[in-house]
Amino acid sequence: MAYISQYEYYENNGSNPEDKNWGSYQYVSLKDIVTNFMLMYQGNHSLVNNEERYKIIFHAKRAIQELNYDAFKEIKALEISLPDTVRYVLPSDYVNWVRVSMFENGVLFPLTENIQATTAQAYLKDNSGALLFDENGEVLNPEFSDFDLARIKGTKKSIYLNESSPFNGNEGYCCDGAWYFDYAIGARYGLNTETANANPTFRIDSKAGVINFDSTMAGRSVILEYVSDGMEGGNNSLITVNKLFEEYVYAYIQYAILNSKLGVQEYIVSRARKQKSALLRNAKIRISNIHPGRLLMNLRGQSKWIK
Amino acid sequence: MIDDVRTTVLAVLNKNNYGYLSPMDFNLYAKQAQLEIFENLFYQYNTQINSENARRSGTDYADISKGILEDIDLFSESSTLTSNYGTHVLPNNYYYINRITISINNINVEVERVSQGKITALEISPLTAPSDEFPVYTQDGGVIKITPNSGQATARYIRYPSTPKWTYTAVGSNVPIFNPSAGDYEDFELPLSYQNELVNKILKYAGVEIRETMVVDFANKQEQQNNIEQQ
Repeated sequence: MAYISQYEYYENNGSNPEDKNWGSYQYVSLKDIVTNFMLMYQGNHSLVNNEERYKIIFHAKRAIQELNYDAFKEIKALEISLPDTVRYVLPSDYVNWVRVSMFENGVLFPLTENIQATTAQAYLKDNSGALLFDENGEVLNPEFSDFDLARIKGTKKSIYLNESSPFNGNEGYCCDGAWYFDYAIGARYGLNTETANANPTFRIDSKAGVINFDSTMAGRSVILEYVSDGMEGGNNSLITVNKLFEEYVYAYIQYAILNSKLGVQEYIVSRARKQKSALLRNAKIRISNIHPGRLLMNLRGQSKWIK
Repeated sequence: MIDDVRTTVLAVLNKNNYGYLSPMDFNLYAKQAQLEIFENLFYQYNTQINSENARRSGTDYADISKGILEDIDLFSESSTLTSNYGTHVLPNNYYYINRITISINNINVEVERVSQGKITALEISPLTAPSDEFPVYTQDGGVIKITPNSGQATARYIRYPSTPKWTYTAVGSNVPIFNPSAGDYEDFELPLSYQNELVNKILKYAGVEIRETMVVDFANKQEQQNNIEQQ
């Protein structure tokens, strides 16, 4: 991207949207990456020669995708109020989740992923128990299985210590006029910490493209933090990469091409691979933003009394 | 230059009264010789690049590839392509397409050539599908199809050299006199440094015509000498 004036940066030359160029200087566009690579790393006297541009584009995009998965700290977040089906359809650019939280009373509650199944398919049967098929020979499914319905309606019990726990609502004992431990009476040793969470739970059904929650989440607000692959819905003009990773992307493209090209000596491939890995490490350290001031905040706790 | 070439050719041919080359035949051989040298420029350039990669080339005046590149670029031209039912018609005289660009929002974007065997897969793949930022074209004969087709296309290409023509006026004794003012006069387009090569090549063809092996041998020897010097 060419350098832009201050006016274009702050106010987009008076056009809408005003914030179009805010922060843009941190990034280099895919188009610039591809153009620079073709100019600087490909040619008669370069290791990479006679390669089609679409191959450079492909490897550049693959590099950006990989960076988006773990190296970039660009977490997207989407808030959705859950319907009665307590189902959260994954965002269109979703690749993997980082955290799922419930937003209630001004507080963000991180939720726990349920270790048990929360959804199941079912087959329709006739009165005699025989499966029902459509005209194509495919077995018919109900919209929700009994298992799903139980979860949605709140009749399914949970192994978590939340409102759906089988012990929730059991009588406890009264002490000085107050009821304590509305779980089963008696000492409870060996708490399973894996399920010791009072918040609602969720489970991601990746193939179905939804997050299934328990019934207590109906009508509540959910914030999904997730990572995408940076492909911006296929709009090449919007694909960018942080400048800290620019050199790595060039090295990745060079390595990917040399690695798949016939007749390239192994030492050259190996050199390209090492260069790529070293540049990724450098970029990751850079983007970690390890500032002395931030370390100081943590180190202030070193003299704290531990009770 | 064409008159000098012809004069030299005739001088060699007439040395022992070997024969005479008519203007019509000279023009035929001149065209052939120029084309041969022109096409050879590209192979020479490739050989020179390989020499450079093997560190067998110098810089400055020893930079042979620069000279060849300059000679090739003498034939470089740009032309706006005419659109025809979603395709663009290439110029008739192109030898090698350097690049195709299209103008999108007043910005020139380079269009990449892809083979017919790749275009379908390229369009299907989400990562490589052609876009306004990275358009592609395929070629069918003298027309190209740009995907996505969204702007005025321009071609930067190397054209074939024009056909040289030694024009003349005939005087009383029917001896042709060189006439560079004729409407169809066309000089060689190659630089002066190629005059020797042109003479040798024309001599070779002329030697075959007049069935004089000495002339052919002489021309071949000169050519070999040139080739050795260029290596």
